[in-house]
Amino acid sequence: MSEALWASVAAPGTDPDRLRRAVRDAPDRGLAGSVDEDAAAWQEHGVCVTLRGDPAYPADLAAKDPAGAPAFLAVRGQLPRGPAVAIVGARRASGYGVAVAAWLADAAARAGVTVISGGAVGIDAAAHQAAGRHTVAVLGCGHAVGYPHPHARRGGLFDQLAEAGGAVVSGYLPCTPPRPHVVRARNRLVAGLADALVVVEGGARSGSLVTAGHAADLGVPVLAVPGDVRQPGSAAPHLLLAEGAAPCREPADLLAAVGASSVGAAPSSPSALPPPIREHLAASWPRPIRLDELARRSGMSTGQLLAAITAARVDREVVEGHDGVRLRAAPG
Amino acid sequence: MVAFVRTAAVVGLEPWPVTLECWVGPGLPGTRLVGLPDAAVKEAADRAKAAVKSTGLSWPTQRIIGNLAPAEVPKAGAGFDLAFALGVLGASGALETEHLRDVWALGELGLDGSVRPVPGTLPIASLARSRNARLLLVADTAAVEASLIEGLAVVPVADLREAVAVLRGDEPARAAGRAPRATRPNVPDLADVRGQAVARRAIEIAAAGDHHVLLAGPPGCGKSMLARRLPGLLPELPVEQAMEVAAIHSVAGVRDPAAPLDHSPPYRAPHHTVSIAGLVGGGSGIARPGEISLAHAGILFLDELLEMPRRTLDVLREPLETGEVRITRARASVRFPARCRLVAATNPCPCGHLGDPRADCRCRPDRIDRYRERLSGPLLDRIDLQVTMHPVVATDLLGESSEESTDIVRARVVAARTRRDARRASGGRVATPAALERLARAIDALALSSRSFDACLRVARTIADLDGVGLVGPEHVDEAIAHRMPVNLVGAA
Repeated sequence: MSEALWASVAAPGTDPDRLRRAVRDAPDRGLAGSVDEDAAAWQEHGVCVTLRGDPAYPADLAAKDPAGAPAFLAVRGQLPRGPAVAIVGARRASGYGVAVAAWLADAAARAGVTVISGGAVGIDAAAHQAAGRHTVAVLGCGHAVGYPHPHARRGGLFDQLAEAGGAVVSGYLPCTPPRPHVVRARNRLVAGLADALVVVEGGARSGSLVTAGHAADLGVPVLAVPGDVRQPGSAAPHLLLAEGAAPCREPADLLAAVGASSVGAAPSSPSALPPPIREHLAASWPRPIRLDELARRSGMSTGQLLAAITAARVDREVVEGHDGVRLRAAPG
Repeated sequence: MVAFVRTAAVVGLEPWPVTLECWVGPGLPGTRLVGLPDAAVKEAADRAKAAVKSTGLSWPTQRIIGNLAPAEVPKAGAGFDLAFALGVLGASGALETEHLRDVWALGELGLDGSVRPVPGTLPIASLARSRNARLLLVADTAAVEASLIEGLAVVPVADLREAVAVLRGDEPARAAGRAPRATRPNVPDLADVRGQAVARRAIEIAAAGDHHVLLAGPPGCGKSMLARRLPGLLPELPVEQAMEVAAIHSVAGVRDPAAPLDHSPPYRAPHHTVSIAGLVGGGSGIARPGEISLAHAGILFLDELLEMPRRTLDVLREPLETGEVRITRARASVRFPARCRLVAATNPCPCGHLGDPRADCRCRPDRIDRYRERLSGPLLDRIDLQVTMHPVVATDLLGESSEESTDIVRARVVAARTRRDARRASGGRVATPAALERLARAIDALALSSRSFDACLRVARTIADLDGVGLVGPEHVDEAIAHRMPVNLVGAA
């Protein structure tokens, strides 16, 4: 019974017995729970576990970070091979930050580069969503904890990623809770899995700075997206720029850091938006515009404007956030 | 000897006829009031005695029994004082039976004999007319309110002496003062609200279709300013409705009895610490109308909606749905009308600064979600229009306002309401199939709750009325969806 369970959660090429012993000796094992319960929880969430040194374990992670790489990786979905970039930033994201993160992630995915991020709300979620199947979310807790709730619930971001062909990974036992030090420690795994890291947005004490610090330790190039000098969310990337990080002004900057080149823009479907609105949104992209402001500038009646914006939201051309509406993709 | 004086008790909003029977006869001198009186009614004996003596009339040194019939109607307050004093005078022979025939009396007595107005004058006057009262004696100020009822002989009396003199025919009855012609009160103009195109539009739709509205925005962005301007966009109340509103306000004691009949829709803005009884009605003994009933036919503005306790929010749900409040107590079950439009305002997040360029929001995203979840569910489903407001840019506040004034918008609102009434009378189809299809697709694509469907359709119907279009089309549906708050605002991708 127990052997069959362990055999079902062991990744191809991983010995179930060795895995069981590694899980038993895991540093985050508390007093409660048995090793078999952990295996059952993994199995329930469709997770395969691989040990460091095994064929399924990312070889360059172990090589890059011999001291810090976790002893086992619990993977839901398929870990992609090939070059990878980490796109990270604050949970409390502005519309500008979300738009830039999605822009970078979309370009990376189309160039065949995997997008790594922390699976949090805000910038992380924007990067994961835009990258489609070319993405890996690194959890700051175990698979069975259900954190962060909006992404871990049924049909949430993690389900979508796993179904699309991406992966959700964790270096922890399935029931390890997202304590602050655990969440920060997984940032090392984010940096370790990536070949370049870009910080999109974050405050002066953002966890993104921790990730950038790990990246610098591991020899992973760090980039930062310049922002509005007055926005608190620009503090982290600007600090990194001051310390010598490369500016990330467009996707090509990021892709160049991993030796990939950007492929042309995705074919855009014809816009259904009235031309004056489209022009205003394109001119201010990636910054959002408030609807009141758009009504004033476009000179349309408020009713017509609202109807046009809804139609564009349904067609996924426009996104509405707390600070206004913006085009979802970069204008051509 | 027994004397009879007519008066009335108000239970909830309903006036019940009460006959005060007074018997004076042999026995140990003393006074007893029977017939389900409350404490204030029992005190009538003392007040009446002092008033009669102050007036210079004699108080019988005999056994006095006052009975308020029928006994099963609960009675409260000091409004029976005048009737009791007149009853005692009638039973002791100071007034003759003929003097008191079909006389209705309503008023509290001062110890010096003066007559004071009591709450509920208007519904009681209306009852007196329907019971063919010969005279209704009320205090001077209450006479203005009572004479809003046509065809009733209202006699103002300053004190008990005057009441007795008029009944005996020693003095002519004075005519009741008439209220000055009602003028539309000075409601603030919509032109004062600069910018805020989306919220202005939502308020217009709310006025045209009687929808509830939620305004979410940082402090100082003009939520209460906008709400205050909604009554001005509504048409005047028809006479029957204005009387209904006046009756509620009269019973609650918040109406100035000397004021003219007010045809403008009421506006009530209770503080967010309001108790449940204060909001929907209640109180000890027989329930009194709450703020939601005082706002009947008008606007109930609840600022800081999410600062209200969960229980208070929950009790709002049923009245908003049914348009009335039912409160059942051991002694009486009452029903208050509560067909008001709710305008609720809230901060967008716990600190209030989400989306505010002037200040940095320091709330964690999960706290913002939890804050908003308090709103979601049954209450939010009943609020058709949900508007996110932003602070106005300083340059918008400079110079003359170029925004539309209340008069212009009200004209559109009134036209839309006329079309709505005509449409409701004729019945028939509401929306084109294309519009319904569009709505279903949008709700799916934007992950709105399935309950939003009906709300969007209602709002779209009103928008079509504003546009003067018979059937709801896809463009009306699209705009209606824009007035629903997106599910998650932070980091939407």
